[in-house]
Amino acid sequence: MTDLSAAVDAFVLEAREQLEGLEEMLLDLETGTDRERVDAIFRVLHTVKGSGSMFGFGVLARFTHHFEDAFDGVREGRLEIDARLIDVSLRARDHMTALLDCGGDSPEAARLEASEEAAHLLATLASIVGGHAQSPTLGNAPVVMQLSAREQMMRRWSIRFHPDATALRNGMRPDLLMAEIAALGQAEFRLDASDLPPLTELDPERSYLAWEITLTTSQTRDAIEAIFLFADDAALDITELVSPNGPTIGPVAAAGPPGNVSQLPQPRAPQTAPTGSSESVRVPAGKLDDIMDQLGELVIAQARLYQIAAASQNPDLEAVVEEVERLVTGLRDATLSVRMLPIESVFGKFRRVVRDLSQELGKEVMLAVEGGETELDKNVIDRLSEPLVHMIRNSMDHGLEDAASRLAAGKPARGKVTLSARQEGGEVLIAIEDDGAGLNTEAIRARAVERGLLPADAPQSASEIHQLIFAPGFSTASALSSVSGRGVGMDAVRSAVEGLRGQTEIATLPGRGTRVTLRLPVTLAIIDGFLVRLGTSAFVIPLAAVEECVEFEEAERHRESGRSMLQIREHLVPFLDLDDVFGRPASTEARRRVVIVKADGQRLGLVVDDILGQNQTVIKTLSIYHRNIAGLAGATILGDGAVALIIDVVTLARRARIAHRQSA
Amino acid sequence: MQIVNQITQKPGTAEPEMMLIFRLSGNVFALPVGEVHEILDPMPTTSVPNAPAFAPALINVRGAIAPLIDIRQRLRMPTVPADDHARIIVLELPVNGVATRLAILADAVEEVIETDRAALKPVPELGARWPEQYVIGVARYGDTLVILLDTDTLFRPDAGPSIQA
Repeated sequence: MTDLSAAVDAFVLEAREQLEGLEEMLLDLETGTDRERVDAIFRVLHTVKGSGSMFGFGVLARFTHHFEDAFDGVREGRLEIDARLIDVSLRARDHMTALLDCGGDSPEAARLEASEEAAHLLATLASIVGGHAQSPTLGNAPVVMQLSAREQMMRRWSIRFHPDATALRNGMRPDLLMAEIAALGQAEFRLDASDLPPLTELDPERSYLAWEITLTTSQTRDAIEAIFLFADDAALDITELVSPNGPTIGPVAAAGPPGNVSQLPQPRAPQTAPTGSSESVRVPAGKLDDIMDQLGELVIAQARLYQIAAASQNPDLEAVVEEVERLVTGLRDATLSVRMLPIESVFGKFRRVVRDLSQELGKEVMLAVEGGETELDKNVIDRLSEPLVHMIRNSMDHGLEDAASRLAAGKPARGKVTLSARQEGGEVLIAIEDDGAGLNTEAIRARAVERGLLPADAPQSASEIHQLIFAPGFSTASALSSVSGRGVGMDAVRSAVEGLRGQTEIATLPGRGTRVTLRLPVTLAIIDGFLVRLGTSAFVIPLAAVEECVEFEEAERHRESGRSMLQIREHLVPFLDLDDVFGRPASTEARRRVVIVKADGQRLGLVVDDILGQNQTVIKTLSIYHRNIAGLAGATILGDGAVALIIDVVTLARRARIAHRQSA
Repeated sequence: MQIVNQITQKPGTAEPEMMLIFRLSGNVFALPVGEVHEILDPMPTTSVPNAPAFAPALINVRGAIAPLIDIRQRLRMPTVPADDHARIIVLELPVNGVATRLAILADAVEEVIETDRAALKPVPELGARWPEQYVIGVARYGDTLVILLDTDTLFRPDAGPSIQA
């Protein structure tokens, strides 16, 4: 039934988010603990367990039950949080994620349930739960939970639960919910069937029933609400019953004669808001991509319309077209902003990476994160995760020294990796910085020569040598550690970044550390373009890179250290004739122009035949046949339907520098 | 006109297959219809600077940008000036495992016929005229020989400059 599968999908989605949050919460325990954090963890486990069994994830529910037991022990003050518990919890969380990925009680889930990892985790959990009961000081880094006497006291609750009419159709299982309630303490259930219609009007798929529950438990309201988390369409009312003698222990008599339920509070559930806020909407990323594609088409159609209107000389039409253009621009900006996510979402993952790796490498490492609120297009963020993980691994494995060397060098034993992001113009700069030993220029040179990447006597500068770590097949580690031997090198990082139309930069100071900076465009989809003409062809230069345009005066040409320079006011600027760059016959046009762009930190003049104006450029990637041509960043469709190539100014700037060096 | 299934040499399935027949530089070629996306009238192209001669330009196929492939480069054929019959054949097929839309030029598109690969004659019969790796075989089409192109190899991009190990 599609309704049911939609409910299962919703469960998987929510559970996945909860498990992601759980990882954060568990890592937070390392920095200190309080009642709230422990409760939050327990709630997640409890919810996943309960809803898991409701939606056909029995293996997951069974496993989570044991995990939950441990945190129940913590809540009740029987267990302490120590490094061992956090370790096993993180791994148990990973196991839960794996079970969730099985999509229910599949053969794969059964295999995982029978796996060694599962057995090991359960044994460890059991030894923690059982072990602590006898010897509460077993932990090696204990953070003792103090629970006040009041929190351990029993309280009585009256719960009225009235499922939505469609709940059964959507796969809700009241019996399981009731079983969970019963597990919390002493519960008494009464069925309210007063809504049940005469048999002739009965719709067997509809839910007409409600339950009245009196529960005596040491659990909090949150724990009770958590059980009903996925039954968020239901009317739910939870009230604490305060007896004149204060909190009591033990079963309590029913509040009224069965059947006489009309006196009980009317069902309404104001305090049990579902997890999502009504101010945000969850949308599959694919739909955003569709909108973006449509918008791209719209921008192109709008450009065509503009051309037709301009040719028509009809002022009314032109006015409407201008209005449409304004609206399309607004729509473009709004759509792009919807796709923007704070980079935090990917930075968050790295806490775990750093933690696991510092154990694996035996290096104590602190991760500092700055600028997590910086926003980037979702597609860029998704494709950044892998390269960033690799760079962090690299920093920790190769960059940071071991504690002894650090102390000998007068640095703190604990290494530091800083991950930062900030926006600068149309670019986002992401930097990974370590306070390690810095790049060993001579070791890199030797390795590059050995690998045939560099002639033995090449007079390369230190910064050029450092660039070689991005060359394919390069590795400075003398032995492949399990950390760096994962199949990606820095060349993969660079190509991933270039695939996002970004650049990589590296800076290093001997003994002080290394910083790799990724410069990425804020968005991949639509940019403002600057249209230029060469012969009869149009090309697009990204407007963000354009500084100014001047007439090309042959007389202003200068030669300086073998390079063609243009006198632009008081400065000399190197320039390239795009006819030369693109292997075109030299232009014979009398009046040509120079577009001054800024790229890769330098100014560069690009000589063109003419300037055609600005447009919104929908970037289409080039096919495999053209992807590797230097100087081209993609292609786009103009208003008249013609295809125009987009110029990659960064590559041209590099090329100009290399040409300079070779002629010098 | 019909294919005469007279020679059976290359082992293959007996399944009849639909083939698109087109002319280019005085020769007749066939491509599997399943890979043909559409056939368009000639349109302006945008040449790509520094591109391989095999993939010299881009065209706009209703809002999508497709590379224009000149198969004459691989089949070692001269360029003959196009006339009114010239067409652009748009294909959709995997290139290096990625579904790719690309276009080729044809001097004329003839028709779609049914044949089966089992009826194909292997290439060596014709001598060394056709680079063997791009051709599956030949069949008779009326009085002429039809060359069935191997789209797996024909559209494979040139191997990039090999990285020094």
